[in-house]
Amino acid sequence: MKKRELVGQPHPQCFFSEFPAESDWDAVVIGAGPNGLITAAYLARAGLKVAIVERRYEIGGGLATEEILYPGFYSNMHAIYHLMVDFMPAIKDFDMERHGLVWIKPNLQTAMVFEDGGSLLLTRMIEDTMDSFHKYSDKDAVAFGKLMRNWRRIVSEILAPATYIPAMAPIDLTVAMQRTEIGREMLELVEQSPLEIVNKNFENDRIRAFLLYISCMWGLDPRETGIGFYVPLLIDRGMNKCYLHGGSHKLAGALSREIVRAGGTILESSDVIKINRHNGSVTGVELMEGRTLNSDVVISSLDPHTTFFDLMDKKKLPTDLKESVERWKYDKWSFNTLHVVSKEAPHYACGDPWVDESFMTIFGFESTKQLLAHWDNVVAGKLDKNSLGGHATCESFLDSHLVRKPGNHISFFQIHAPYNLEGGWDKRGPEIKEAMLAKWEKAAPNMKRENIVMSTQETPKDIEIRFPNMRRGSIKHGDYTPIQMGCFRPNEACSNHNTPIKGLYLCGASTYPGGLVLGGPGYLAANRVAEDLGVKKWWKPTKEMEHYIKTYLT
Amino acid sequence: MPKEERYDFVIVGGGPNGVGTAAYLAKCGASVCVLEERPEAGGAVENTEPIPGVRITPHAMYMYAGPAPAFEQLELHKYGFRMDWSPQSKNLADQQLRGVATTYGLAPITDKDALGWAKISGMLTSPPFIKELLRSIFWCPPHPSEVEITAENIPYMQVYKKHQPDVWTEELLDMTMFDLMDEYLETEPIKVMHAMVAWYSGAAGHWEGVAIPALGCDITLTIYGGISVPRGGMHGYFHSIIRCAIAHGVVVRTCCPVDEIIIQDGRAVGVRLRETATTDEKRIWANKAVISDVDVKQTFTKLVGTQHLSSSFRRKVEDISLKGGSIWVSHLLTREKLRCRPKFRNPISGDDAGLGPYPCDSREIYYEHVADVDGRRGKPTMPPERLMWLSTPGDRFDAADSQCTIPGRYLASPYYTYVPPPEYTVGGPDALDKVKEEINAYLRKAFSQTIENLNDDTLVHHWANTPYESEFRNTGLIGGTWCGTRHCDDQWGENRPIPELSRYRTPIEGLYLCNQTACHPGGLALMAIPYNLMHILIEDGLAEPGKWWYPSPWYIPQQDKVSAVPRHGGDK
Repeated sequence: MKKRELVGQPHPQCFFSEFPAESDWDAVVIGAGPNGLITAAYLARAGLKVAIVERRYEIGGGLATEEILYPGFYSNMHAIYHLMVDFMPAIKDFDMERHGLVWIKPNLQTAMVFEDGGSLLLTRMIEDTMDSFHKYSDKDAVAFGKLMRNWRRIVSEILAPATYIPAMAPIDLTVAMQRTEIGREMLELVEQSPLEIVNKNFENDRIRAFLLYISCMWGLDPRETGIGFYVPLLIDRGMNKCYLHGGSHKLAGALSREIVRAGGTILESSDVIKINRHNGSVTGVELMEGRTLNSDVVISSLDPHTTFFDLMDKKKLPTDLKESVERWKYDKWSFNTLHVVSKEAPHYACGDPWVDESFMTIFGFESTKQLLAHWDNVVAGKLDKNSLGGHATCESFLDSHLVRKPGNHISFFQIHAPYNLEGGWDKRGPEIKEAMLAKWEKAAPNMKRENIVMSTQETPKDIEIRFPNMRRGSIKHGDYTPIQMGCFRPNEACSNHNTPIKGLYLCGASTYPGGLVLGGPGYLAANRVAEDLGVKKWWKPTKEMEHYIKTYLT
Repeated sequence: MPKEERYDFVIVGGGPNGVGTAAYLAKCGASVCVLEERPEAGGAVENTEPIPGVRITPHAMYMYAGPAPAFEQLELHKYGFRMDWSPQSKNLADQQLRGVATTYGLAPITDKDALGWAKISGMLTSPPFIKELLRSIFWCPPHPSEVEITAENIPYMQVYKKHQPDVWTEELLDMTMFDLMDEYLETEPIKVMHAMVAWYSGAAGHWEGVAIPALGCDITLTIYGGISVPRGGMHGYFHSIIRCAIAHGVVVRTCCPVDEIIIQDGRAVGVRLRETATTDEKRIWANKAVISDVDVKQTFTKLVGTQHLSSSFRRKVEDISLKGGSIWVSHLLTREKLRCRPKFRNPISGDDAGLGPYPCDSREIYYEHVADVDGRRGKPTMPPERLMWLSTPGDRFDAADSQCTIPGRYLASPYYTYVPPPEYTVGGPDALDKVKEEINAYLRKAFSQTIENLNDDTLVHHWANTPYESEFRNTGLIGGTWCGTRHCDDQWGENRPIPELSRYRTPIEGLYLCNQTACHPGGLALMAIPYNLMHILIEDGLAEPGKWWYPSPWYIPQQDKVSAVPRHGGDK
């Protein structure tokens, strides 16, 4: 894209000044998603002169609460389930309560409903989940209770705090973990696939399907080994999902206020077209509109291709780095989401009325076989409209602020879907939408046509259009596979948030520890930059992190 | 238990006036909290992306605020304020070269038209006095009630007398904008065009006594050639205001609807939030004042308990007219770039982007349209060939700030047309909502008078918000439109919205108004109300600005109050 040359040439009758064509900064952050905002907020409060530039007209990235059901209805069309509220350092460090942020953690977190009216529940409380498992298997109910008590410790003592501590080499991590019993238990899990873990511990097929969906829904390959530690993490966090009252965007708003209060500057509608370099070191960024921001420190929250290939001269990159970016694999699947305004909240045809209050409701799958077939299809670029399933959330049940015209409800139904759909999204989009509406109505009969006021579908292609660095609809900026996790995310040279290019840092979801609004990459990048620049950190590790370091790493 | 929340000022409503007022007060060193009921602040100055890659502006589109002192006083450039300068904006003669859109094609604009317009707009003197003229119309608080309003002290009359005495006549105060143009302009289509722009901007071309305010609405827009907008749209401009406010310490809370302004012993002392508000503390206290950026009717009928108001005052508020008309806003997403019919293409540049108002043949068409809207029948009754509407040249804005990034898709947005306000529509407020698709189809027929390729094959999506929907989306938009209340002589200046409220004070001590429906000079996101209100808050001893402050040169202090004119005389 070509740089415009209109800067500094305002209208002859212009009565006001504009933001300058060229400006100097201590650090420039590219991309105002959760991680970019977190990095900028930490550094601004540390006294650096920070600018954060965002391509879209609004900050937040995936923290978006917008009126996509226009006119009158807001939706959290991207991030809605906040998994790490209990551990994210930024929430404590910036005292988010002061910003009026209130997270709701419903007890009924996830339900799965079946065609015969049966249902399973995953709740914040282990006992309530066990009660629902008892309907199908006493043994599984007891196993779940036992397992979760252990897994909770693994998560709260190891996996969750480790999210906010720099990536370790696998060998160092193994040595550290082998010193304790729960560490060894964690290591054992790593070597198993999600499917093996679920099958080994549970006998009932519906319970297996339920837990497998929860473990793998964010993009784990159910049959892959080396990522098994994600199963306890995602089930435990799946029991602790939070909804930010007023919408996910409130978190972005609060972080942006921290940046501005600390003297930082936010520029929306500012598409970076180039990271400037001189003698190998970065010197700033250039915007498509023609403005230049000079800085010896540039921190990119974008995906590896955009950062290294689109914004820099690929030919001048170190070979190792270039090859690792070329090898980068985007998410194995994306989402297709149907957003609707309806006259009633979904009422599921199910023996348990409590299901209607669930934060997330899974339907469309009667067995693990069917679930695995759906995922296999998706990975192969297919969708079988007769046997698709996914999860739904009624947002207005949690948040009245999203509905501007009272008496209506807004909900979404989301399925795993391939970016490159066989037949193409343009052609098959309408038919998939119809199939999803039919599937939803089957599960919740009041989601019938005459009750639907408005609807809109967002395909994986749409995700990429709205957020271009979610390439191929990759909500995590890159797949979760053993060779793209830990110190390999996005590669060994960059997983500690600095890069082989002097002054260039990474803070996005493609960098350790990954996406899903963990706030990890942003926090770790801020730490790295502060250490490299010798800036005094005004923050301290959380008590969970300190406990982890003390108990397991020293 | 949460701690008690207490600020110097609590502002109800996070539109541009509420947040602009907050920025001014915070810059004076006060602690300020702004409460907004929607998930995003900005009021009608907003963007939304209903489908990925398509950004539309449901309401405010144009930058009228250029002459505002706020750009200097709040230093908005420091907070990221930028414009998208369209290449055409530099060509002042562009409009004249192109002409005005009529049913028979582009009507030429004569030299007399251009010179006459330049003269009444303050552009013929050296240096031009256009900025002073505009500031005198909008950026000055109404005079105190003890001052008799005369041709000598009305700010814009003083400006004409000083700079262009041959335009000055006492008759300016009784004229319509048409009367004024009949005197200085030559051809009918350009007069109709300007009258319509003025009407859609708040003060109609046919209303008596508001010739100069109507002219002002028009020229604040057209001084930029009407084709340059802030980067990121008007919400981008809002971002610079809210960031300025936040940088000076303002606390902004979204999803916090206010249910009540708490009055104790006849004084506004705070607000009570709705139970659903996304904050733990449901009462927020104000040491100095509560300022309402909620429309004037709801402020008094819903937020202030009726027991605190006299029945005659309440009645006056209820009677404030909303009959200015409401704008039906259309956004068209198409498979082809929309093209003008050949007779509407610019003979010089070949440019066929938005034409502005159409059709401008004669004021008969304009009056038919007025009668249709003010007749409150609901559905437009004119044949689509004669319907007046206004297109904006959306695709002429900066290509580096595109509103549509989907390959192979084009956005024409927004297209405006006036319909009756919901409250006055015969058949009930939702009468038009029931026939929304029918009206959209009718409008596309009207748009097709100038566009050759708007049809079922090219149309992907036609979004529209009906005026009634606008009221739900944005509760401040009473009457379903951005002006809310008429900018007619009876509701302008010292009369806006009623004489008792014209200086932003209310019968309740400690309660002030800053909403466009309640305050001179009304809408258009001018940053005028925050500036004007500052004079009053200084008078009442509530705000003490630093050296950055300068008052309006035409401001008259109220007797027995602190003057808003600084003793040091200000920087300017």
